[in-house]
Amino acid sequence: VCSELTLKRIADDVFEIDVDGPATAQAIAHRLREPGMAEDVVPGLRSVAVRLHPARVPNIETWLSAVSQRTEPLQTDSATVELVVHYGGEHGPDLSQVCEALDLSADAFIEMHIGAKHTVDMMGFTPGFAYLSGLEEGIQIPRLGTPRPRVAAGSLGISSGYTGLYALDGPGGWPLIGRTENVLFSPDQRDPFLLAPGRQVRFRAA
Amino acid sequence: MLRVTKPGLQSTLQGAPRIGVRHFGVPASGPADTLSMALANRLVGNAPWDTCLEITFGGFAASIEADCSLAIAGAAFEVRAAGRPLPAHETLHVKAGCALSISPFKRGARAYLAVRSGFRALKAFGSTSTYLPAGLGGYRGRALQAGDALEAEGDPRSVQTLATPERLRLSFTGSFALRACASAEFELLDESSQHALFRNRFIAGRQATRMGVALTGPTLELHSDGMMKSAPVFPGTIQCPESGTPIVLLCDAQTTGGYPRIAHIARCDRHLLGQIRPGDSIKLLRRTPEDAARALIEKEAYFQDWLDVVPSESPPIL
Repeated sequence: VCSELTLKRIADDVFEIDVDGPATAQAIAHRLREPGMAEDVVPGLRSVAVRLHPARVPNIETWLSAVSQRTEPLQTDSATVELVVHYGGEHGPDLSQVCEALDLSADAFIEMHIGAKHTVDMMGFTPGFAYLSGLEEGIQIPRLGTPRPRVAAGSLGISSGYTGLYALDGPGGWPLIGRTENVLFSPDQRDPFLLAPGRQVRFRAA
Repeated sequence: MLRVTKPGLQSTLQGAPRIGVRHFGVPASGPADTLSMALANRLVGNAPWDTCLEITFGGFAASIEADCSLAIAGAAFEVRAAGRPLPAHETLHVKAGCALSISPFKRGARAYLAVRSGFRALKAFGSTSTYLPAGLGGYRGRALQAGDALEAEGDPRSVQTLATPERLRLSFTGSFALRACASAEFELLDESSQHALFRNRFIAGRQATRMGVALTGPTLELHSDGMMKSAPVFPGTIQCPESGTPIVLLCDAQTTGGYPRIAHIARCDRHLLGQIRPGDSIKLLRRTPEDAARALIEKEAYFQDWLDVVPSESPPIL
C-alpha cells in the first residue's frame, strides 16, 4: 500500500508520482491511462509521470491520488525471449572497463550475465529500448559522464543494476558490453516490439 | 505537385505529435515549432496539424509541378517564385512550372511550408510525423533529398488569399527568454547553481537538433553519482548530466532518461525551442507551475480568434 505517496508537479503540465518499484509503476500507469484524460502516462523505474493539459482536466491532483492509492497488480505477459549476444570487442567497447570496475574477468562477467534471469521492467528511451532487471545488487556501474553520439542498434548497455537494450542506432549514455543480432523493433509489423514489460529474457553468447 | 531541387540542411514532413505512445519508447515528433506550423496551415485553410514540410535553416528550393496554394511561416527568410519575391505571412498562389526558393534564414531555425489540403505522408503510430532515428512516418521515414516528389492529400488550390494578422506574426531575434519551472531533481543542484540556472544566460550549443539543444555557458554543479533510476522525460525537460552542461529536450526527445531533470520549459513557450540556432542566447525565467499554466491559457486565448488553438478532436497546438 502506498501510504506515503508523493505527488509532485514537475512542470506546469507534468505530474509525477513516486512509487516503490517498476511493477507498481506499470500497474498505476495502466490505470491512469484508462480514462483517456492524460496525454501521456509514462512509467519510470521508481515513478509514473502524467502529462496533461493543465486547464482541460479538473481536480488533477485528487484524481491522481485516488487512482494511485489502489494497489491491484497488473497481469503481464511473462513469456521468455532468448537473445544471442556478441560480448566485448567492437560490439561492447566498455566491457573491459566494466569488468575492471567490478573486479571480474571478462569470462566471469559474461557467465554471470548469461546465468542471470532478466525481466523487462519497462520500455522507454527510444522505440523498442528495454530496461532489464536481473543483475545482482552489487553490479552498480555509473552512466557515461557524456553520452556517446552514436550507439549501434542491438547494443547492450549496463548501468545501475540494469541491462539496457538499444533497439535503434542513436545517442546513448550507458557503458556498452555487447550487441545482440535479434531485431528489437520492427515498425512494419503488427506488433512492432519484441519485448514488453514483464517478459523474461535469457542471453546466449554467439 | 512539388519536386525538391535543394533540400537544405534537413527537411522533413511533420504532422501531429504522437500522443499516448511514450510508454513504448515512441517520442512525440511533429513540428519543432507547433505554433508556426499552425499559422502556415491557417493561411491555406488547413486544420492546424495537417502535414507540412519542416525546413531547417533554409536554403531550400523546389520546382512546382501543379498550380497550388502555399504558405510559409516560421523563421525569417525571403521567398521567391520564378525569381519574383513573394510576401511572407500570406497565402501564395503559384503556377505549375515555376521554381520556388527559400533563402537561408536570417533568424530562427525552422520554417513550415504548407500546401492546401496538406502533404501526403506515411502514417506510423497514428501520425504522419517523421521520426528519423526509427524511420517512422513522413516521406519514406527519411529527410527529403533532391529529386523527391511530394503530393498533396487533395486539391492543392485554394480560392482564398489570407494574411496573418500583424499582431500574431512571430519574429525571432537570436535571444530567447523562456519561462521554466524547477523540476524533479532541481534540488540536486548546489545552491549557487540553482541561482545560476535562472540568473545567467546560456548559449545554444553547436548541436541544435530535434532531439535537444545543449545549453553552454555557466557549468552547473550537482550532487549525482550517475546512478539515478531512469525516469520519464518530455519535450521541454532540461536534463543535467554530471558534466554540468544542461540539455533542453525538443519534440524528438527520448521518453525516459537517467540524468537529473533540473527544470522544465513551460508549455506556453515550448514552441520557441524549435527556433533556437546554435550560438543563440537563452535566459530561463523561473515560474511556478501554477503561473506557467496561467500563462499557457493566456497565450492560447491570444491566438484563439485566428487559430483553433485547442481543437476538440486533436492535440492542442501549445
